Amino acid sequence: MPESLRVIVAGGGTVGLRTAELLDERGHNVVLIESDPDQSERVAAEYVASIIEGDAARPAVLRQAQPDRCDAIAALTDDEATNFAVCMAAQRMADIRTVMRIAGDPDELYPEYVDGVVSEATLTARVAVNEVVGGGVRSIEEVGGKVELLEVEIAEDAPAAGKTLAEVRLPRGSLIVVDAAGERIGGPETELTPGKRFLVAVEGAVADEVMNLLRG
Amino acid sequence: MSHAGERAPAPTLTLLDATMVGIGAMIGAGIFVLTGLAVETAGPAAILVFALNGGVTTFTALSYAELASSIPRNGGGYAYVREVFSAPVAFVMGWTRWFTYMIAGALYALGFASNFIEFGHIFGVALPGGVLFWAASVVLVFVTLNAVSTAASGSAETVITLVKIVILLVFVAFGLQFVDLGRFSPFFERGNPLTMLPAMGLTFIAFQGYDLIATVTEEVEDPERNIPRAILLSVATTVVVYLLVVFVALGTLGPDGLAGAGETAIAQAAEGFMPVFPLVGTGAALIAFGAVFSTISALNAVIIGSSRVAFAMGREAQLPASLGRLHHRFGTPFVAIVASAAVMLVAVAVVPIRVVGNLASLFSLLGFSIVNLSVIRLRRQQPDLRRPFEVPFYPVTPILGIVLNLLLGAFIDLTTWALAVGWLVVGGAIYVLLSRRRGGPAGPTGALKPEISEPEVTVPTED
Repeated sequence: MPESLRVIVAGGGTVGLRTAELLDERGHNVVLIESDPDQSERVAAEYVASIIEGDAARPAVLRQAQPDRCDAIAALTDDEATNFAVCMAAQRMADIRTVMRIAGDPDELYPEYVDGVVSEATLTARVAVNEVVGGGVRSIEEVGGKVELLEVEIAEDAPAAGKTLAEVRLPRGSLIVVDAAGERIGGPETELTPGKRFLVAVEGAVADEVMNLLRG
Repeated sequence: MSHAGERAPAPTLTLLDATMVGIGAMIGAGIFVLTGLAVETAGPAAILVFALNGGVTTFTALSYAELASSIPRNGGGYAYVREVFSAPVAFVMGWTRWFTYMIAGALYALGFASNFIEFGHIFGVALPGGVLFWAASVVLVFVTLNAVSTAASGSAETVITLVKIVILLVFVAFGLQFVDLGRFSPFFERGNPLTMLPAMGLTFIAFQGYDLIATVTEEVEDPERNIPRAILLSVATTVVVYLLVVFVALGTLGPDGLAGAGETAIAQAAEGFMPVFPLVGTGAALIAFGAVFSTISALNAVIIGSSRVAFAMGREAQLPASLGRLHHRFGTPFVAIVASAAVMLVAVAVVPIRVVGNLASLFSLLGFSIVNLSVIRLRRQQPDLRRPFEVPFYPVTPILGIVLNLLLGAFIDLTTWALAVGWLVVGGAIYVLLSRRRGGPAGPTGALKPEISEPEVTVPTED
């Protein structure tokens, strides 16, 4: 099953924008809500998401992002109360996975209300992406500016499932580094067994294609 | 131009490249293949047919520009409609867009074959095999190329398109001196301006190439500004070139001559007045060469376009998921390309060229109506959506687009409508079967819930 998600990102600051970029690179569809016109223009120039200009905490604005058609919402503004309100409102509107950004140490009660929390103290966009996307693919590290290290589980019916690396031609700009258990460096004879996890280094521009081959 | 799932990191298309993608798909079909047929239906008024079609398509082009600037998605009209409408409407749009590209491919293949054989005649070579043989061969060759490797780069496409334009401008430059205005009267040969309407429907397919720009938006640099520009520029350029060429062809060969020449009309017009060039030979040879070259590049463009729509639909679970996969070795949407090729070959073999043109035009008209409607609906649904480009004189422009597109569609003959309905019924059956198997409505909502992992608080420690 292709895994193209529809995701709402509330907040187009550095974290929100980078989250939208990473999601877009992996072939997901993003709608971003940002109230500041200057900031939304900056995000628009990246051309990674449709942008709704307005306050995400206002239901009339949030509704325009069509939560009922989306798989997840990531509330990533720098205001914890706003983020919480956005998640709550979205849950009232639709059956949707909610992820919120918090300022300090996590409140132990949050898990009762939202599906994922990213803490500002250690916040990076890829943590937010991991929370949004859920199992199967996890972002491990961003190496420099363009390359990401991902942990990918080979999906059952993916085009590359059950093939060896010699049979599969991964696009230039990607490399299977090692299996996730850290036992073997990837080589031509490495078999991409469904269910097994691998560490994959991938440039943003080909992330979508690599996901398509490994995840279907 | 490149595939969904480019092998090398995405190339950046400049404004010129993006414009040429659109022009490349438009110039090559209408002008070489359809001019003769249009004149047969409308007489000298064919020139007005092309002008009016240019006007009609401009309304839709403006809508495309607004949608492309605000919805950053590859996939063309289908992607926009998917964004605005429910799954079944998007399915109809994708299904008809896919078919339009495939039918257009059949049309270009047939146009290629006639002109290729004509090309042989000019050099005194009688090519073996008939039109069907060459049309099927060229489809097979280009489908194979596209299935096993990614296409030529954006700049190669730009060069090819520039060559096409230059060849046509040479034709115009020589022909203008020989134009006999007397050939334009009586202007409405059948005595009635209404004869233009069927001819408009027939040739409308020649004005849909800008949809292709919308399928490669993510590879264009500074897209929110350049895509609207590229769309409008490509339509404007195409209309000007068409009008010049049709004017010269009508003024030199005359309506009767053009009508009789069918798919090779422009080449035959060139024979009348073009001088003999060194190396290439007669002017007719140059034009025939241009026609062969143009139809091939247009064919390549629609093979990419058709496979990309099928690929996008497969990814959105609107068609079998195998269409939305890349081949593990070639990195191309292999199944989508092969499926498109199969339909193209059937169309080449069994459907007459006039019906092929009509069908493609009808589906374009219907699809474009939905695109115009999307602009209106999106403005209502998402008033605060950021729209770097806005349709001027909203809502008059998109409404005119809808009305005019439907009006032209109404003048397409019943046989074509019957075929069209047939294809929609096939699509509907597939759609119902697919959603039954999934046990829910098609589309990302419902069908594609993410794997919800345990609600967890992430306090990452690894960084």
